[in-house]
Amino acid sequence: MDFRKLLLVDDEEGVRRFLGLSLMDLGYEVKTASNGREALAVFEEFQPNIVFTDIKMPVMDGIELLRIIKEKSPDTEVVMITGHGDLDLAIESLKFDASDFITKPINNDVLEVSLERARERFTMKCALREHTENLERLVEEKTSRIVELERQNAACQVVNGLSSALESASREVETGSGLFNELPCLVSIHNRYLEIVAHNTLFEERLGNHVGDNSFDIYSDRTSPGNACPVQRTFQTGKGQRSRETFLGKDGEEIPVTVYTAPIPNKDGEIELVLDISVDMSEVTRLKDELFATRYKYQRLFDEAPCYITVQDADLAIVEANRLFKRDFGEVEGHFCFEAYKHRSEPCEGCLVDKTLLDGEARQRETVVTTLSGERKHMLVQSAPLHDASGRVIQAMELSTDITEIRRLQDHLTSLGIMLGSMSHGVKGMLTSLDGGIYRLESGLKKGDAERVDAATKTLKAMIGRVKKMVLDILYYAKSRELETEAVDAAAFLRETAAVGAAKAASAGVEFVEDVPEGLGEIKADTAALSAALVNFLENGVDACEGRGADGGGRLSLSARREGDNLVVTIADNGMGMDRETREKIFTLFFSSKGKRGTGIGLFISNQTIEQHGGAIAVDSAPHKGTTFTITLPRGPAR
Amino acid sequence: MTKKILIVDDDVEIRSYLSELLGDNGYETVTASDGSEAVDIAKAEKPDLITLDLEMPNEWGPRFYRKISQDEALKRTPVVVISGLNAIKYAIPKAVASLTKPFEPEQLLKIVKENIG
Repeated sequence: MDFRKLLLVDDEEGVRRFLGLSLMDLGYEVKTASNGREALAVFEEFQPNIVFTDIKMPVMDGIELLRIIKEKSPDTEVVMITGHGDLDLAIESLKFDASDFITKPINNDVLEVSLERARERFTMKCALREHTENLERLVEEKTSRIVELERQNAACQVVNGLSSALESASREVETGSGLFNELPCLVSIHNRYLEIVAHNTLFEERLGNHVGDNSFDIYSDRTSPGNACPVQRTFQTGKGQRSRETFLGKDGEEIPVTVYTAPIPNKDGEIELVLDISVDMSEVTRLKDELFATRYKYQRLFDEAPCYITVQDADLAIVEANRLFKRDFGEVEGHFCFEAYKHRSEPCEGCLVDKTLLDGEARQRETVVTTLSGERKHMLVQSAPLHDASGRVIQAMELSTDITEIRRLQDHLTSLGIMLGSMSHGVKGMLTSLDGGIYRLESGLKKGDAERVDAATKTLKAMIGRVKKMVLDILYYAKSRELETEAVDAAAFLRETAAVGAAKAASAGVEFVEDVPEGLGEIKADTAALSAALVNFLENGVDACEGRGADGGGRLSLSARREGDNLVVTIADNGMGMDRETREKIFTLFFSSKGKRGTGIGLFISNQTIEQHGGAIAVDSAPHKGTTFTITLPRGPAR
Repeated sequence: MTKKILIVDDDVEIRSYLSELLGDNGYETVTASDGSEAVDIAKAEKPDLITLDLEMPNEWGPRFYRKISQDEALKRTPVVVISGLNAIKYAIPKAVASLTKPFEPEQLLKIVKENIG
């Protein structure tokens, strides 16, 4: 390598000039710098082989420069120039690998010697580097050759091992004994002439005896060697093959298979035989189909089940929901159950699924939920654990059955039960009164007491009327009948109804006022049901006035008017009136303010009838002031 | 001397029935339509026997019974309960008899006769 570029660093311009010229005379290409920092800049660009540097300089001294240069370029020779008294520094610089040091004033001979030494050192260093690099390359070469040899050796051993294994395998096939015959695969051995030399029992069972036949004969769609079968390809490429093929079965049926082949080399590494292991895919295909069908069946069961099913993970997040659930509660997958199902922001108190996830026990309870469409449903909710393969509970299934209808029937039955209970008491009272009426009638007749007979007859009539009404009420409640509507003249209908009320009022000494104008138009109504409902209000009015006594100024009125399309009927009395509590309960089934005399059915049915006609009832009442029922009916019934 | 019977019942028909039935059989009768009215009448009339309905407005049978059983003059008066309620014998355990409506008139007369002759 060239040793010509020299960088001279000194803060004294005279030194730079004089020394520079001397060095140039010696044949060096010289650049100069006045301090360490400047020198570094020049160094980067100039890439000198040797640096002469003064030690004591401003900005950056020679020692610092030496250190940095040696760091960047260890091969660069650095010779220190020292003045008097710098000897210690000069020696220190040697620690940082300076090549040499010369002292000022600089003697040309000394300079030459120093340069010669530096050159030698540089050359030697270069030679050493080259040598080292060569050595490394050499070692690498040798090593890789050894590795390659080892690899070949190992590969050879593997091939030998494989070959002997395959050979013994093929022997097993040939002798019809051993593991290969147990394999649930079609195993055959082929020679290089593409002849089948042996096959296992299953092969023979399925395809027949093919020993000596051509390798391609066993395929349903390969009739010549030109149509390369996997065995042929294995001989050609020397590599094992894998492909889907169709074999021709013994009885001519097609057998879908996956063929795996492996070359069996002899000791010299040449392929002598090919092992063909084929897996009958018809069973796999069948199993796949079955699996698919089963999955489909279960998905359908899940979706079509007439109940609400969700699968939830440990956070109560819904992993899966069936179709009915999604229909009534929306796309809930990924949402928390308590959000989607119960519209809550936190898990429900005593959550079944939570408990099931904890202890793996199935549970059930009843709850009320609201669907997307706002329908309230009574649900019987059941939870069951879902286990993973290791038996750990990982998810839970929640199954809700809509029992709204059952609840409704139950309520109806309960109501009937309550009705019978409450009514039996009233009935007993009536029967006692009837007994009394008969006793008084008989005894009155026996004694010829006309007054007693008269009173008894009145009692009997009233009692029979009450019994009749109660029985009819019960029958009406027990069978909720459909309306049989007809168009009738509203005024005529209301007057007929008012006449019934007027008779009751008269017998109780209550004044009756009827205000039904002509021209109310027609009304579509089930006249029997609507009339009964209105009479009920009128009877209640008469009863309410009863407390006033026969001459107590009791007054009952029925008035009617048209309001747009609606017919408005007002029934008012000045009787005992009702407090707020009573007012709010009057249309409730089995509520009666009349004690033993009321069944609590009458106004309930009246209200139902008015609603069936699409109408509405407003009640205005205050204790001791009287009651006004305002019944608004549309021209035609709603249903 | 004619025995006096107080009939307590809120149903006017039943009051008439009992009055005439007992009257025809030689008893003198007075009536009351609820418990509170009955207390006053009982104190004034000092009946020999009381027939008592249970369910009545204002003051029902058992409360009336509690009141008369605290009264020195009335507490030994025999009470016959006549009611349509179920299990009436538990309502007033000290009643001499309990009859369920509808009752047999002969049975009532027999009970009355046994108690006050």
